[in-house]
Amino acid sequence: MTKSSRITLSVLATAILASMATLAVVHARHTPDDAPPTPALKVKDSQGTVVGSYRIPSDSQIAALPDGKEILYGKRLLNETARLLPTHVGDGLNCNSCHLAEGKLGAAGPYINAYNTYPTFKSRAGRKVSLTERINGCFQRSMNGVPLAPDSREMLAMKAYMKWLAQGVPTGDKVDVVNAGKIDTSLVPDPVRGKQIYGEQCASCHGDSGEGMKDQFGDYIFPPLWGNDSYNIGAGMARTYKAAAFIKYNMPLAAGRNKPLGQGGVLTDQDAVDVAQYFTHQPRPDFPGKINDWKNQKKPKDARY
Amino acid sequence: MQKLKVVLLASLALLAIVFLVAISTPYWFARKHDAVVDIHNPALIKKGAYLAYAADCAACHTAPHGRPFAGGLAMQTPMGTIYSTNITPDKKTGIGNYSYGDFERAVRRGVRPDGAALYPAMPYVSYAVVRDQDVKALYAYFMSSIKPVEQRNKPTTMPWPLSMRWPMALWQLMYARPRAFVPNKAQSPEVQRGAYLVEGLEHCGACHTPRGIAFQEKALHDTSSGVYLSGSALEGWYAKDLRNEGLGLAGWSDHEIVDFLATGRTDRTAAFGSMAEVISHSTQHLSDADLQAIAHYLKQLPARDGQSPHPILGVDTTTAKLRAGDYRASGATEYVEHCSECHRLDGRGAPRVFPALAGNSIVSAEDPSSLIQVTLAGGGMAKTPHDRMAFVMPGFKQLKNRDIADILNFIRNGWGNRGSQVKARDVARMRQLIDHEPLNYVPEAHND
Ligand code: HEC
Ligand code: HEC
Ligand code: HEC
Ligand code: HEC
Repeated sequence: MTKSSRITLSVLATAILASMATLAVVHARHTPDDAPPTPALKVKDSQGTVVGSYRIPSDSQIAALPDGKEILYGKRLLNETARLLPTHVGDGLNCNSCHLAEGKLGAAGPYINAYNTYPTFKSRAGRKVSLTERINGCFQRSMNGVPLAPDSREMLAMKAYMKWLAQGVPTGDKVDVVNAGKIDTSLVPDPVRGKQIYGEQCASCHGDSGEGMKDQFGDYIFPPLWGNDSYNIGAGMARTYKAAAFIKYNMPLAAGRNKPLGQGGVLTDQDAVDVAQYFTHQPRPDFPGKINDWKNQKKPKDARY
Repeated sequence: MQKLKVVLLASLALLAIVFLVAISTPYWFARKHDAVVDIHNPALIKKGAYLAYAADCAACHTAPHGRPFAGGLAMQTPMGTIYSTNITPDKKTGIGNYSYGDFERAVRRGVRPDGAALYPAMPYVSYAVVRDQDVKALYAYFMSSIKPVEQRNKPTTMPWPLSMRWPMALWQLMYARPRAFVPNKAQSPEVQRGAYLVEGLEHCGACHTPRGIAFQEKALHDTSSGVYLSGSALEGWYAKDLRNEGLGLAGWSDHEIVDFLATGRTDRTAAFGSMAEVISHSTQHLSDADLQAIAHYLKQLPARDGQSPHPILGVDTTTAKLRAGDYRASGATEYVEHCSECHRLDGRGAPRVFPALAGNSIVSAEDPSSLIQVTLAGGGMAKTPHDRMAFVMPGFKQLKNRDIADILNFIRNGWGNRGSQVKARDVARMRQLIDHEPLNYVPEAHND
């Protein structure tokens, strides 16, 4: 081989190697290509000692279970309460209007610990309350309606869903998830500012007059925030700081990419307290049972009566 | 041996000739044409500012959180990342030293003042038809009204030999020949204006026209093949068919197209991904007359052979099933769990808040890229003054590929939609693409 052809060959070889290296670089960028397993949450006993772990189950597991039909019915009742239980619901809401993402979301009233923590002492009632009573509490206040019979098919189905969601966590133990996020309750609400925030951050969905928005069947897409179809003054959500804690972490929906409902993370504590004060104090149904609340316990400062 | 030597020398000589042809194109194929432009003429500047919106310069030349027109936006190509360049009139790092001829040649021919060829990520193939008067207005605007920013351009990450630019000149010889806008005299002046905007400054075809093996757009204006604006995939998004046919714009009224381009949404759908940026940076700033012209132009693009000129929508049996609690269809349970809170059991979403999935051509598009990407990574609506809030679709990376594929097949065939099957491995592939999205280059802000 002459010198020049050797040079040519080596040039060619280098070029080929370089292109191969390029291809290698392009292909070496490998990362796992499926989702990681659902993250495990700690399970703690009443002393706070970690005693196990818990993963939020996926609905796709329900159908194969022996009581799958009942669990699924419970899930539907929680999702579509106003439509499926019209004689028990007096407003336009569903349970999951407040217990977002089928009660699987921390800081949005998850049902995760419902089955394993009741019966438990409640200061509003001033005594131990069962899960059935707690659910019926929401029926009478948040749903402005009438309670379900404790052994009705509907009540049992809702409880079956909550039991399934608890995934066998024993009574008394708790999954490490919060029911409500933190809010600074020393803040003084400014409803005038709240009204303005409402217009900017809420009215697109809940309506300029808090009237919500309905679908083709007349069911609410966005629940009303005040008026006859909203919850009554006996509901936890009627209280400024409870509502503010919900709103800060959960409203508006569809505001960010990294949470399952894109929820929250937009308002400061002050914003949340202001807007909560504004809309909770708009006209809404009264609650006749209010005379029995906090009879022997200290009333919270944001109680409505 | 002697033979081998001859062959090698001949190929070297050929390579040398090709190389010389390529590097000499700026002297014979894409020559500079200088002209005097009064860059302080207020009317010209005003026109240039409007045209800069139409040309969507900011979408690429302003990186998120970056300074206006200082470049740095990363664009992913199979060979590496390209960063957009600084087009502020800064003398050291921007285009401050460009004569009108330099500017015109970069915009319409894709050639830098030093003679190097630009990558067609800069849509000079479309800009080629922009009229002289309009290029002059753009020049006046950029040279006199944009604040100079000193920010060095970031080199591409393409490895050698792919980083060499001279082969691009050969590409330009093939696919970026000089041309002018040819109005169809049979059409109304309004439709002609629409065509001029769509083919040129707005370069809708850069994303919406399919590309050939050499990455060239298969058509640059409407031809009998009907391939122009018939839909194309780019960086993991599918920019859908815009012709007046079934999965294109047949189901859209002129009013809806105008509403979509002006506000980023209609009662039924919302822009996401790169289209949301096109709307934010460009079309929302266009005059109503220009948007009408675009809509009228698009609506008269005839359906291709074999394509229905009417919207395709079958009978909806899904809504009744889901409302009755029948979740037996594959993917139905997962849809109800993860998506129905917003998109609803009837697949209709909520007007101007959550797009409808029923009868939505993005959902049943033959190429499911956009569908997979928006589900995995989420998407954000364009922010325009028309609506108080711009909503965001959360990403569902936490769901398994199999579940996402099931959900997507469910919505592709629910409510009367008809779509081909998405496979779990299509979702896996998109996951890779999203994970490797390059970062934009935005240096620390200068103190000034
Ligand atoms: C307007 C909002 C709202 C609606 C609607 C609503 N709830 Fe509640 N629910 C709450 C709030 C707020 C709490 C927490 C109250 C508290 O902090 O004491 C709660 C608490 C609960 C709890 C106790 C959870 C725990 O772990 O302690 C259960 C169970 C429950 N609700 C079930 C239901 C059911 C079932 C329905 C439908 C029939 C329903 N809720 C409707 C707001 C609502
Ligand atoms: C993107 C639309 C959207 C926006 C914006 C939005 N919400 Fe909501 N909101 C919803 C939906 C949807 C629900 C019910 C959840 C469900 O059905 O899954 C809800 C539920 C609620 C609830 C509990 C149910 C009820 O009727 O009381 C409150 C309280 C609430 N929103 C307050 C607010 C406030 C305050 C803002 C503004 C800071 C806001 N929302 C902004 C969509 C929205
Ligand atoms: C940078 C690339 C790009 C450019 C340029 C571009 N588009 Fe798009 N377009 C997309 C992508 C990606 C989608 C799919 C995402 C979506 O639907 O929002 C899309 C979607 C659309 C849709 C369908 C929306 C729906 O929901 O069905 C319309 C209409 C549209 N574009 C019109 C245009 C017009 C008109 C132009 C020129 C003025 C244009 N596009 C320029 C990338 C682009
Ligand atoms: C929190 C509300 C929310 C949830 C939950 C949600 N989406 Fe969306 N979705 C949106 C919003 C908002 C948009 C508009 C995004 C945009 O235009 O940038 C959207 C857009 C889309 C689009 C594009 C449609 C179009 O025409 O623009 C598809 C497809 C889609 N979502 C599918 C899904 C699927 C599949 C799921 C469940 C895995 C889901 N979405 C869950 C809010 C949601």
